Amino acid sequence: MTTTREKILSRLRENTSQQYEMPNLAALDAIRYADPVAEFIVKTTTTAGARLVELTEGETVGDCVKRIAGTGIVASALEGIEAQMNPDTVGDVRELMTAEVGVVEGRIGVAENACIWIPQQMREKAILFAVQHLVIVLSRTAIVNNMNEAYALISDDDSFRGKYPFGTFISGPSKTADIEGALVYGAQAARALTVILT
Amino acid sequence: MSTKHSKAAAQYLRTPDVALHHDATFFNVRQKRDRMAQALPEWEQLREMADQIKRHTATHLDSYLEQFEREAKANGIHVHWAADADEYNSIVLDLLRTNGVKKVVKSKSMLTEECHLNSHLEAAGIDVVETDLGERILQMMALAPSHIVMPALHVHREDIGRCFREKIADYADIAKTYTGDATDENDPTLLTYIARMHLRRQFAEADCGMTGANFGIAETGEVVVCTNEGNADMSTSIPRLHIVSMGIEKLVPTVKSMGIFQRLLARCGTGQETTVYTSHFRGPRPGGEMHIVLVDNGRSSILGNAEHWQTLKCMRCGACMNTCPVYRRSAGYSYTYFIPGPIGINLGMLRDADEHYHNVSACSLCCSCDNVCPVKVDLSQQIYLWRQQLDALGHASTMKKTMSRAMALLFNRPGLYTGMLRLAPMVNWMPNAVLNAGLNPWAYGHKMMTFPKKSFHQWWKENKAGDAQNKAQD
Repeated sequence: MTTTREKILSRLRENTSQQYEMPNLAALDAIRYADPVAEFIVKTTTTAGARLVELTEGETVGDCVKRIAGTGIVASALEGIEAQMNPDTVGDVRELMTAEVGVVEGRIGVAENACIWIPQQMREKAILFAVQHLVIVLSRTAIVNNMNEAYALISDDDSFRGKYPFGTFISGPSKTADIEGALVYGAQAARALTVILT
Repeated sequence: MSTKHSKAAAQYLRTPDVALHHDATFFNVRQKRDRMAQALPEWEQLREMADQIKRHTATHLDSYLEQFEREAKANGIHVHWAADADEYNSIVLDLLRTNGVKKVVKSKSMLTEECHLNSHLEAAGIDVVETDLGERILQMMALAPSHIVMPALHVHREDIGRCFREKIADYADIAKTYTGDATDENDPTLLTYIARMHLRRQFAEADCGMTGANFGIAETGEVVVCTNEGNADMSTSIPRLHIVSMGIEKLVPTVKSMGIFQRLLARCGTGQETTVYTSHFRGPRPGGEMHIVLVDNGRSSILGNAEHWQTLKCMRCGACMNTCPVYRRSAGYSYTYFIPGPIGINLGMLRDADEHYHNVSACSLCCSCDNVCPVKVDLSQQIYLWRQQLDALGHASTMKKTMSRAMALLFNRPGLYTGMLRLAPMVNWMPNAVLNAGLNPWAYGHKMMTFPKKSFHQWWKENKAGDAQNKAQD
């Protein structure tokens, strides 16, 4: 008996007549900025609706997180962060919904649209979405001009993939405009995003 | 006025303030898209490449699907194939039953709308919760989407507020925890908060998360889902089971090609530089299961349609409907197919021409859709081709056929034409009541024109014919 799979594939073969070539993606002249870091900061703090902090003199990332989190519950698996919850060891993933702040590391920042690529290094990716306030630590040396450059890195270098089979570009707090087009931050996922630029 | 679309549109236009608001709302999205396009010098190059990649993928779809399946399986993902909606629905139901699923949280998927999945699952006693805010509103109000990207933008906040207060059991408890200003019970910020808390409970309770797929990458067997709300991510971060529903045309060949499409999708769809989340799923959660159902449901046949195969390039951004003057003024429910606007007209005809021929008249052939489409689907050209086939399909309007025959008669006889033209201004003297009443088909939706005293032909002969001849001799 022919399987559905075979039926679909053979119908596709029968119905393909002229075949077209793949274009040369390297020929794209994608936008570049004189100062990609400055562009990234502007995009993050305007259109993306996120906050961006830079470390003050002598401050560590851990200090900076403390400054941001105050007394709220912090979830993180990063070294040097004082956290009450760990996405690698949390018993029930739903506990992460009760964390005030989640701290993770971003690997690529994209100047054109404030996207930050976060490969999944922690066991529970819920930390990226379920916490109230997401904090992403990003090095200014990791900022590229545009998405084409970001995808080229992910495509060509496995170190941009995480330990777990998931990765996401995040560019701000969860938002919606589904009620009469009125923009509201804090839809179902994190209500706030802060980028710590190191 | 014979088609269902024109009748429904006439009904819609009886509340002009609603229609004007709809028009302005979506034209605003169109203008935001324009600003995005103008901000990127490489915009047209991106469209050109997107078109080429999609043409390439569609005409190598068999081998890309095989590659996608191979890579996905290597990543521990289960891959299923569904020939049509029935097979798709039963695959999903079987998976849910095998896993003892009682509640499913779903992110927006036009494919599940196409296959009527929700009603199929609900009939089997499964609690299906839409988690995109717009889709959740529609689900609670038992309404269909009116747009593919902003499905509930036509619903008013008062109705949403009333619906939430009636249908969300713990509304009062949630409202008590709201720290903002709650004096206006229909304030979008308050209502979004209510929905947030209501939906976060659903994520926590669900046994399965279902998503669509904006893209599938053949090279790596991963799927990409783009949202602003993060609902697809919440749906897949808590339940152990993740089911992806994906039309077979959603493939792109490589990770690098995502650079083209990710940049176009949100800019075209909502006029944003990016969606908040662009998530790449390459395998199950630790300890979980991930399934991808590849759905054909007519797509492999469309590939063989010489005139319409390029509809397979569509990535459902909605830009063609936002720009369409007919969509903006008649709204989603005027169309007989669940996808409205230029792409919906074409997809509806490909689904069932007898059912959906009503929509082909919902086009002024202004061609604006062709110019905004990020993958260059020749939408208006295709609508024109459908119109040429209406007679063969047995759906041409008898009145228009008679008029066409009369016009052919007239245009093929210059003497008769000129004579009629001389008499035409007499029409101007006929009383308005006669001209703009039911007897004159031209007057449906148009004001009757005023014929000039002198025809253009006559004016040309008297004023310009000599000049043109002189020029030709030079």
